[in-house]
Amino acid sequence: MRYALIVIPLLLLPVLLNDFWLTQVMTRALILGIVALSLSFLAKYLGVVSFAQAAMAGAGGYTIAYFGPNSVNIGIELPFWISIPLALFLATAFGGLIGCVARRSRGIYAIMITLAIGIAFFYFTRQNYALFNGWTGFSGVRAPLIGGISLRAPVPLYFMSLLSAVVSMMLVSGFARSPMGLAIQAVRDAPGRVMALGISVSTPIIAAFAFSGLLAGTGGILNVWYQERISSFSVGFGPIIDILIIAVIGGLRYPSGAFIGAIVFVMLDTFAVDLVDRERFNTLIGTVLLLIVIFAPNGLQQLVMDGAAKLRRAKQPTN
Amino acid sequence: MPVIDTHNSVNALEVRGIGKRFGAFWAVQDINLTVRPGERRAILGPNGAGKTSLFNVLTGDTNASAGSIKMFGADMTRMPINKRIRHGLRRTYQHANLFNGLTVRDTLFLAVAGIRGGWGQLLPLKASDHRLAEAERLAEVAGIQTFFSHEVSSLSHGQRRQLEIAIALAENPKVLLLDEPAAGLSPAERPKLSELLMSLPKDVTVVLIEHDMEIALQTSESVSVLFNGKLLAEGAPTEIMENEDVHRVYIGGAHVH
Repeated sequence: MRYALIVIPLLLLPVLLNDFWLTQVMTRALILGIVALSLSFLAKYLGVVSFAQAAMAGAGGYTIAYFGPNSVNIGIELPFWISIPLALFLATAFGGLIGCVARRSRGIYAIMITLAIGIAFFYFTRQNYALFNGWTGFSGVRAPLIGGISLRAPVPLYFMSLLSAVVSMMLVSGFARSPMGLAIQAVRDAPGRVMALGISVSTPIIAAFAFSGLLAGTGGILNVWYQERISSFSVGFGPIIDILIIAVIGGLRYPSGAFIGAIVFVMLDTFAVDLVDRERFNTLIGTVLLLIVIFAPNGLQQLVMDGAAKLRRAKQPTN
Repeated sequence: MPVIDTHNSVNALEVRGIGKRFGAFWAVQDINLTVRPGERRAILGPNGAGKTSLFNVLTGDTNASAGSIKMFGADMTRMPINKRIRHGLRRTYQHANLFNGLTVRDTLFLAVAGIRGGWGQLLPLKASDHRLAEAERLAEVAGIQTFFSHEVSSLSHGQRRQLEIAIALAENPKVLLLDEPAAGLSPAERPKLSELLMSLPKDVTVVLIEHDMEIALQTSESVSVLFNGKLLAEGAPTEIMENEDVHRVYIGGAHVH
C-alpha cells in the first residue's frame, strides 16, 4: 500500500514531464540512486563505508561498452541478452573480490583500503588500452534495441531505470531477511561472537560486497546507456565522492534515502548554473552536505520521517 | 582422530595440569578437574582467581600454555574454537556481546542454523522454516519467548543473560560452560535464573562460574574453589561451606549460612 503511493505517481511521470525533466533529472537520479544504494546497503547492514562503489559500477559499465556496439572499435559485440548478465556477473564478482581484500578491515581502515582499490581501478582504466581504451574510454555506446525501440529513448530508459530501482530495493529488503543477510548484520554487531557460533566471518563479508557489486553494476550498466559513453572519469575521484555525498544526504542508514539524496544531488547539479555560477557547483553541494551533517546527521529520509511523526502526533488529541 | 565416547565411564571433562601464562604471570596454574557426564559443577573464587581464564582455555578462546584437556575422551587441547563447538562444547560470556541490531528470533536462528546449506541462504527466511521453530523452542526454554520478535538492543540485562543461555543451548550441547550468568541481575531475576539452571536437561554437563553463593550451592552437586590461579579445594557444597581455607580466602572469614 505504502509502496503503491510512491510507485504509481512515478509510473505516471512520463505523461507529466517533458523529456528534459524525465531524462536529465528523474532517470539520472534513479541511476545514481541505485549506485548510492549499493553503498548504503554496505553501510547499514555490514557497517562498512566503501569507496569502491564507483569501481564496481565501472566494472558493469565497461563490460557493457566492451561487449556492445560502440564507436571506438574495441571489444567484441555480443547480443544484449548475453552482455547484460555477463556485466552483472563481473560486477558481482568484482564486488566479492574487493570484499575478499577488505574483509579484515573495519572503520577507517575499510575506507582506506576501498579508496585505494577505487583509485587503483581509475588509474588502471586510464593506462590500459586493450580493454579500457585508456583515458578516452568508450564513446558511442548504444543501448539495446528491443522490437525496434531503443532503450536509450527517454521513456523506455526511464521505465528501465525505475524497474531496476524497484527491483534493487526489493532485493535489498529480501536479502536482509535471508540467513546470509542476518549473518552479515551479526558480523556488523559482534564479529567475535559470530565466530563463537561456528560461523565464518569472511563469508558474510564477501557476500555483502558481492551483493553490493550486483547493485552497483546494475547502476553502472544503466549509466553507460544513459551517457552513451564511459571513460576513466566515470570511475575517478569525482564519482566516488558524488556517490558518498548522495548516500549521506539521503541518510546512510536508509536504503530508500539513496534515491532522495540522488534527486537532491541531480537537481542541484542541473540548476546550480541558474542559482550560482556553474563553476560553483562544488561550493553549493558542499554547503548542502555541511547543513545535512550538522542539522540532520541521519539524512533527509530521517528528517522526513521525523516530520511525519510530528504531524501524526499533532493530529492526535492530547488528553 | 580420537573417537568421542559418550559412555558413562568416560569423563565429560578431564583437565590435567592446565596452565595459562601471560608473560611471566600465570593466570591459572596446574589445574586438575574431572567432571562426570551430567554433573553440575560450580567454580568459585574471588576476583582474579583465574576462573574466566580457565574457561577461555577450555573453550579455545585462548590457548593453554601447559597441560591437556579431554572432553569425552577426545583430546581438544589444541583444537580451534569452531571445532570444539562442533564437539558439543558451549559457553556463555560474562560480558554479553550480542547482536544488538538483530531480533531474539534472528539471533537464535543463527545459533541454530548458521549459514549452512548453499544458495538457499541468500533467500528470505520463511516463517514456516523448521529451524525457526527450534529457535522458538530455545527461547521458551530460556524463558524469553515473549520477547521473541524484539530487538536485542531493547532487552534488559537479565533478558540478555537468558538469551545467552538460549544461544548456548542451541544444537544440543554436551558440555555447557556458564560464566557468571547471575552477574548484574536484580534480586527478582535471580530465582528465575536458578530455576532455569535447574531445569536444564539432565544429560547436559554444566560447569558454572558464580559469585552468588546461593545460586552456586543451590544448583551444583560439587564445587571447585580457585585462588590465585590454583585449585584450593574441591568437594560437595556442604564440605566446601565448612572448609577453613575457603572461608579465609573467599569469604574473608565471615560465616556462611
